[in-house]
Amino acid sequence: MGEKTEVNDIDRSLHEEKNVAKHRYQSAKGLTPEVIKEISREKDEPEWMLKFRLKALEIYKNKEVPTWGADISDLDMDNIITYVRPDADLQSDWDQVPEEIKNTFDALGIPEAEKESLAGVGAQYDSEVVYHNLKEEMVEQGVVYMDMENAVKEHEDLVKQHFMKLITPNDHKFSALHGAVWSGGSFVYVPAGVDVNIPLQSYFRQNAPGSGQFEHTLIILEEGANAHFIEGCSAPKYSVNNLHAGAVELFVNKGAKLRYSTIENWSRNMYNLNTKRALVEEDGVIEWVSGSFGSKVSMLYPMSILKGARARAEFTGVTFAAEGQYLDTGAQVIHDAPNTTSTVNSRSIAKDGGHAYYRGLLKATRNAHGAKASVSCESLMLDNESKSDTLPIMKLQTDDIDIGHEAKVGRISEEAVFYLMSRGISEEEAKAMIVRGFVEPIASELPLEYAVELNNLINLELEGTIG
Amino acid sequence: MYNKKLVDNLTTGQSKLLSSRRRESFDHFKYLAQGDYKRINLIDYQFPEYNPYNKEYLKEKKGQDELLIKRMTDNLNNEEEILNYLDQFKDKKVKKGNQGLDAKYLTMAEAFYNTGLFIKAPKNVKLKLPVEIFYQLDQENPVLIDNNLIVAEENSSLTVVFDYRMQDQNLEAFHNGLTRVIVKDNAVLNIVKVQRFNDQSDNFDSNISLVSNQGELNWIPIELGGRNSVTNNENTLMNAGSRASISSVYFADGDRKLDLGFKMNHQGRHSSSKIESKGVLKDRAQKVFRGDLYFQKGAGQAKGSEKEEVLLLDKTVDSDSIPALFSEEDNVEGEHAVSAGQIDEQLLFYLMSRGLTKAEAKQLMVEAAFNPIFAKIPLNDLKGSVINDVKTRIRS
Repeated sequence: MGEKTEVNDIDRSLHEEKNVAKHRYQSAKGLTPEVIKEISREKDEPEWMLKFRLKALEIYKNKEVPTWGADISDLDMDNIITYVRPDADLQSDWDQVPEEIKNTFDALGIPEAEKESLAGVGAQYDSEVVYHNLKEEMVEQGVVYMDMENAVKEHEDLVKQHFMKLITPNDHKFSALHGAVWSGGSFVYVPAGVDVNIPLQSYFRQNAPGSGQFEHTLIILEEGANAHFIEGCSAPKYSVNNLHAGAVELFVNKGAKLRYSTIENWSRNMYNLNTKRALVEEDGVIEWVSGSFGSKVSMLYPMSILKGARARAEFTGVTFAAEGQYLDTGAQVIHDAPNTTSTVNSRSIAKDGGHAYYRGLLKATRNAHGAKASVSCESLMLDNESKSDTLPIMKLQTDDIDIGHEAKVGRISEEAVFYLMSRGISEEEAKAMIVRGFVEPIASELPLEYAVELNNLINLELEGTIG
Repeated sequence: MYNKKLVDNLTTGQSKLLSSRRRESFDHFKYLAQGDYKRINLIDYQFPEYNPYNKEYLKEKKGQDELLIKRMTDNLNNEEEILNYLDQFKDKKVKKGNQGLDAKYLTMAEAFYNTGLFIKAPKNVKLKLPVEIFYQLDQENPVLIDNNLIVAEENSSLTVVFDYRMQDQNLEAFHNGLTRVIVKDNAVLNIVKVQRFNDQSDNFDSNISLVSNQGELNWIPIELGGRNSVTNNENTLMNAGSRASISSVYFADGDRKLDLGFKMNHQGRHSSSKIESKGVLKDRAQKVFRGDLYFQKGAGQAKGSEKEEVLLLDKTVDSDSIPALFSEEDNVEGEHAVSAGQIDEQLLFYLMSRGLTKAEAKQLMVEAAFNPIFAKIPLNDLKGSVINDVKTRIRS
């Protein structure tokens, strides 16, 4: 048996700075139609949205909690305060954002990130968007990037046509809950042919004890449009179990290309039960880049539905499960049109008793002739306290396809360490290099600001402790 | 039907211990709800009427005198020995992953078996010739519920061939089998199972094994028939250096439905396993492949690999693959790979350019895919007839 590489936890001090919660309005604990009506009234929503919420609540009450995957019995659903409005009005000028909130954002580096060529910042503090900005040139081209609440009023037709059509309240208990209590999130609309060449970024944050976060992200790319959306999550730690049940709906029309990057870095008491789906039309492209590092429990399986001929999906993901974490993640791809292609590349690391689970689905329907797909999952175990599981399900319903899948589990190769050492590199450095190399495919997919955050999360920590 | 009266009948005049085992299983059976196989639309399956099985199935061979072979339905004088072996399976059920054949089917086989063999290769006995067992189904014997126990004692070696078959193309037959296998230290055991039922018959088969220190178990399951066929093969590699392999072949055409489960539970250090499955789906055939590699805590330096290849010959097939890799140890090597698709068109084109018809070329390529596994079948007659069967099916 060789020496084990010591890899320390991610430094969370930066992300777990808490502000004293101060709220203007807080809904009563538990979910009743009255609570829903109150939320809707507070938001001054159109009637159809209220009706939608009430219907979703009905479905939520009748749905069972899923029995597979993570153990979520600790999650006290009735005690989650579903709506927490921060003590701030919607600001477009940074100077007017309250000091407390600003400090937290400053610690996370959001204004700096914007200075560095970001198109806009939709920073979500608790359930309400508090700060929004989009560069003027984008607005001139007809690009819409705003908070979901205002989008419901200002772009009612577009929202009504797409809102929870891809993810419906009937899908599962948490999508129903989302439908009933959703709050905040981003709306992006890119007109035909427009190339948003700088990434749109939104930073989510949860602050109040016991609050859930149910942000809704709706992105519509018209024909030939191109955009990159970045979602990042971080939450301060509280003793009450927190729930995140957001929904992300992406509509990629003919020939459009969307890249959706996420770094999930919730604190270790969070239940992250997020649902993400993309519908891709002819020649469209969806690219997911996903890093899952935080939370106590995650169940996250972004789905790409390739509905148009030659549509393409790519998924690149890293999951890092440390002590006390159960991260159940994966990708789902449905090939429902001829000559569609998909590539799934997943890497997971488990350490200190963490449990990383890859759960994926690849489906080729009778329409999917000429489809090509490849799935590759690799798991690295850094000690034998941890667990690593892989379950990639495949469902094929036509003959003219080319499907390949590979998965591997193991620890750092001693031969590779030996080779590097024979070239004059110390054992610690050799191991650190191998671990960094393992997550490199994902790190290289992220824009610089986020690669820096990823660095904070893994690379620097690995180097610091191993070296 | 499958009630207390039938158990009483089956235990009258029978060995005491095994009879009490039947009754225990029945006590579980009667309270169990029957599970469905949703992926192949096998819902609310009704067991057919019980029927005794009285067909001669064992081919006596010279040179097998050292082997102990008993009928499980006889009044046995070594039942204590059998029960001791069976008790070794208690508490060995692994909860994680694919759960194998539904418990209703398992307890049904334990309570109502109408035939079955206990085969033991004693310590240090090495047998060259395979033991051949023919379970044939016909009008008089349309229900087969076999309960088999195969034991390879320390340092022994043995090959057992099961041939499940029928001539009658119109008979609606039923098979629910249970084969338990124990491989002791340094023993080598090979088991070949060929299933060639007609299109009206249903097949359920469960295989469970325990492999000890340096023991080796090789399975060759060949699935060529049946209307519905649900099988499971679960192996526990208990100690240091335990080895197991599964080389599976299936050919499904028409409206055939297959649900095949394979599982390797690694418990011992340096244990190693290999699952290899090659299959062809034609017409409206449906298949589910479940393959689990599970490295349990303590299985340091274990190695496991799993590989599935499936050829899809028609647009109307349904192919599900559920390969799983579970690991609780860091110092292991586990990998699995799946490839699915059509016959390589360039190869097909090449063969056709050499004068073969498309059908002939396809047939040749299917044969080429299967041959490495067929080559492992120890009996030439059986090998020949299996290859013939595949040929006929591809042509039809």
